[in-house]
Amino acid sequence: MNARRPSRNQRAAAKPAKLPKPPRIGAGARLGSWRDQHLYGLFSSLGRLTARPLATVLTVAVIGIALALPLLLHVVLDNVRAVSGGLREAREITVFLDPKVDAGAAAAMAADLRRRADVAEVTVRTPEQGLAEFRQLSGFAEALDVLESNPLPTVLVVAPASATADAGRDEALVAAIEADARTDLVQYDAAWRRRLSAIMAFGERAALALAALLGLATLLVVGNTVRLDIQGRAEEIAIMQLMGAGNGFVRRPFVYAGLWYGLLGALLAIVAVLGVRIALGGPLDHLIASYGGHVTFRGLAPLAALATVAGGAALGWVGAWIASTHQLGRTA
Amino acid sequence: MIRFEQVGKRYAAGLDALIDVSFEVAAGEMVFVTGHSGAGKSTLLKLLSLVERPSRGQVQVHGVDLARVRRRRVPQVRRGIGMVFQDHRLLMDRSVFDNVALPLVIAGVPRIEAAKRVRAALDKVGLLAREKAEPTTLSAGEQQRVGIARAIVGKPPLIIADEPTGNLDPQLSVGIMQLFAEFAQVGTAVLVASHDLHLIKRMNQRVLVLDHGRLIDDFRPQQATA
Repeated sequence: MNARRPSRNQRAAAKPAKLPKPPRIGAGARLGSWRDQHLYGLFSSLGRLTARPLATVLTVAVIGIALALPLLLHVVLDNVRAVSGGLREAREITVFLDPKVDAGAAAAMAADLRRRADVAEVTVRTPEQGLAEFRQLSGFAEALDVLESNPLPTVLVVAPASATADAGRDEALVAAIEADARTDLVQYDAAWRRRLSAIMAFGERAALALAALLGLATLLVVGNTVRLDIQGRAEEIAIMQLMGAGNGFVRRPFVYAGLWYGLLGALLAIVAVLGVRIALGGPLDHLIASYGGHVTFRGLAPLAALATVAGGAALGWVGAWIASTHQLGRTA
Repeated sequence: MIRFEQVGKRYAAGLDALIDVSFEVAAGEMVFVTGHSGAGKSTLLKLLSLVERPSRGQVQVHGVDLARVRRRRVPQVRRGIGMVFQDHRLLMDRSVFDNVALPLVIAGVPRIEAAKRVRAALDKVGLLAREKAEPTTLSAGEQQRVGIARAIVGKPPLIIADEPTGNLDPQLSVGIMQLFAEFAQVGTAVLVASHDLHLIKRMNQRVLVLDHGRLIDDFRPQQATA
């Protein structure tokens, strides 16, 4: 619309157009403008968030806490699994022999057991070895010195042959050892280990349920924030619609705002998990030290952190999309 | 360009805003729509911008029957119409430049091209120097001119203005109306709703007179542009 170029406008007006379509643009430019519009949405939404810092911080904090809870539970379970993993794998059967059984008889019994197909290995621990170990670990060295004779029996440590934890086969072996006259006591914690496995499975399922609930909460928090934002910008939206903005254009900044909320919330959740680790630092290190060198703390894995960020952003996006689509449907 | 055929509009309350209105406006024509308040001027413009739909009759713009435009296609029709409002309806939290650029951003015009057009439109309304200003720092007349720049930046074949000089003093009003007349001279159809009879007389253009929803006069001065 420039008075210095009237002929062009007259030509345009004289054309018998089907729909009034002002700007004509090529495919390349169209792609460029599509990118421009998305960049515009991405950054204008960020601008809107920083324009109201307090409201944004509050929303992000709520999302961050909601996402941090299942994430913390995940880290705790991960560590419990790592610690208990050794226990669950250890399927050794500890056989305490009758004190009357001497070293030779014990060796003979070990030889008998070794011949069985379902036994991989048998270790004999003499009373002397047991006493030495006890002296070292318990700190009762002086008390033990008082004893006139060694009260400890010979112990056989039997490793079942089956590679997988086949409870039925192991129990048949346990029954056979118990039936032996030379046996005093058999210690085999299958039931306890099964219970631990069940508790772990329950914990993992509970973490999933919690994550689903708090994910839904995130969806609702973002949705409600976006809904209020849209209500506050009703006039601006009305103007854009009169200028020919479609729902996609109007919705875009809000959907991107939802993306930012989710993304920032997820980052906050990760920071919160790291913060909790630092806050628990002293006691946790003592606990780990008590296990000796073979237990280490497992922090949030990079992959899990990445999944949290992606999941948070996706939740924010979806929540904002649902809310804005619903809200625009009402105002149109 | 515009064709109304026996158009009637009845609102839900049973109020007849328009009754049996028929007229045509050609490209390059500037037309005033006048009448007392509540005569149906705003309703007539709202039918063109598809804010309202007629209860009966047919409205055509650029040969398109607006009754056949589905909701999804409404934005596309609106992109072909430059709209000017009495209260200018600028986005107060954006600069003058961003306000004028809005229709181009919506239409997906590449940035460099858009910037050129925005400056040309601002130049046209004499506000090129204020492109970075916030609308709140402008006078009422300047704000209205920003609104006009926004309406023309997309080079629409049709401009509709609802009481564009309602809040302006007579001298500013004449300046604004002369701008509209210039757009008509270069082939744009311009439809202006106004109740300022003195101003309308001075502009010496075609006038449609509405009274209680009926078109009672279609006055064409002899030297009207065609």
